[in-house]
Amino acid sequence: MSEIPLLRENSPQPSILFTLGEEIVRIIIPVSSCMLLVVLLVTILDTDSIPDLSSILADFSSASASVSVSSIWDDLKGALITSAIFIAMITAVTFLIVVLFYFRFNRFLKSYMIFSSFIVLSLLGGQICLYLISVSRLPLDSITFFLLFFNFSVVGTVAIVPASTSGGMPLIITQLYLIWIAVIVAYWFTHLPEWTTWALLVSLAVYDIAAVLLPGGPLRLLVELAISRNEELPALVYEARPVNVAASVGDRDGVRRRLWRASEHEAPPNSDSESSSVSVSRNCLIEEDSSESAIPLNGQIAEEDSELNPEGRIGLGTSGAIKLGLGDFIFYSVLVGRVALYDFMGVYACYLAIMGGLGVTLLLLAFYRKALPALPVSIGLGLLFYVATRFLLEEFVTQCSVSLIMF
Amino acid sequence: MEEDVGTTQRREQAFDEENQILIQPSSTPRSIQSAVCANQWPTIDGSLGLSVEDSVICARKFFLWGFCLMPLLWAINCFYFWPVLRFCTRSSSSAHPFAPVRKYVLRSAIGVALATTILFTWSLTFMVGGVGLFGPSWNDLVMYNVAEKYGLIDWT
Repeated sequence: MSEIPLLRENSPQPSILFTLGEEIVRIIIPVSSCMLLVVLLVTILDTDSIPDLSSILADFSSASASVSVSSIWDDLKGALITSAIFIAMITAVTFLIVVLFYFRFNRFLKSYMIFSSFIVLSLLGGQICLYLISVSRLPLDSITFFLLFFNFSVVGTVAIVPASTSGGMPLIITQLYLIWIAVIVAYWFTHLPEWTTWALLVSLAVYDIAAVLLPGGPLRLLVELAISRNEELPALVYEARPVNVAASVGDRDGVRRRLWRASEHEAPPNSDSESSSVSVSRNCLIEEDSSESAIPLNGQIAEEDSELNPEGRIGLGTSGAIKLGLGDFIFYSVLVGRVALYDFMGVYACYLAIMGGLGVTLLLLAFYRKALPALPVSIGLGLLFYVATRFLLEEFVTQCSVSLIMF
Repeated sequence: MEEDVGTTQRREQAFDEENQILIQPSSTPRSIQSAVCANQWPTIDGSLGLSVEDSVICARKFFLWGFCLMPLLWAINCFYFWPVLRFCTRSSSSAHPFAPVRKYVLRSAIGVALATTILFTWSLTFMVGGVGLFGPSWNDLVMYNVAEKYGLIDWT
């Protein structure tokens, strides 16, 4: 382990353990914090809701209704229909984005991204902040609140757009705002009814595989178009900060910086020569997308009136940093948030399952070196662990505790 | 910190690559000190951030847009160009490549300090004073009442 502190300039290449571990940690920390924030929001805002008679009666009637078998079948049917509609809309919107990207409507796509980010940050995020203020009864005055929130949303919108259109923004600020957007969208998704959420997650996992790996899949087309034109994808993507491997020479830093910038400008003249001179171990341009637009779901989320089309892909940026689509963040957090509405034991189990799935996906990424769907493995494992925890583990733990054997 | 030899070599490479703002190397101590400063990147992201010429444009944009009631942009300006504020306090202000950036960042820092003072004063007065200081209009200004009045919060 003497190879670990290797950031001095004349030292040999850091070991694979250091670089690979550091990169994995840099993608696990944001995913974990997103899930943690969603679980916190879900627990704070749902259990402390202002109690009144109508909500108590509604809870009681829904609890008693879900016990009967016929109602479960109705729930399942409704859930399947809703998720089928959702998947159909996602496919349609993704194909629309592919077509627009193909015909180079880049400015339209960028302004749409700006507009939708602003709506999500200001309206949906604002509502969450208002809920929090109401629950905590913080005596904040409206002038200060509007000023702070206006600042927050506008700076967030500037941070989300790629750095070529905005002047530049600290990387950490962009990452924090991306996580915050994922938290907002995931929180509003947890308001879906339970069966619909699970059906949606499963169908999205299946759609993810189809869209990324099949030759006609829209996301595969999008990724190939972006690679062939050397442009960035019109989507919200979380990019982890690259680990500086043996950055001992100043000009190599400059070259790497230009490579990173080259992926954002449209085919700069000297990008080809520089990309051939830097022998990065992963030198294939692999990117993924997670474009965002929300669809109006069945009336229970009346606040979401912007289009939502999240998919998650995992891939490698030009500087070797891992990129994960924002849709992945969102749906991992939706799974964990929905489990949190039930019990915390499942939350821990599903968190471990999702992290394991992410690790498996990263392993496959290192093996195949192309854009891969990040949803299916994690969602599959998460669902499996949730079912096992809810129906097997809890029973076991409860019986053990009741009989005073252990726990 | 790097040695002087390595620094001047790297700085010459930086001249070839980057921009026309950087001054020519000379052998006076002041230039070595400013050379040490010039070797750093102006942004907090280091080599992943902006070059010096882009930084001037960016700092200026953040400073000017901050006047639209956005002190957060000034704060981000100071945060982003922290190396400019921190490492170059002793070099001469006119003959340094970071000088234009530093001008805008300093002004943003002053702006942030002023805006924060005003905002905190008002907000704390409001919170601590309460109904006793403001009278019944306090209830009209406090955020949770405003939210409930306009139906922004809807417990589904």
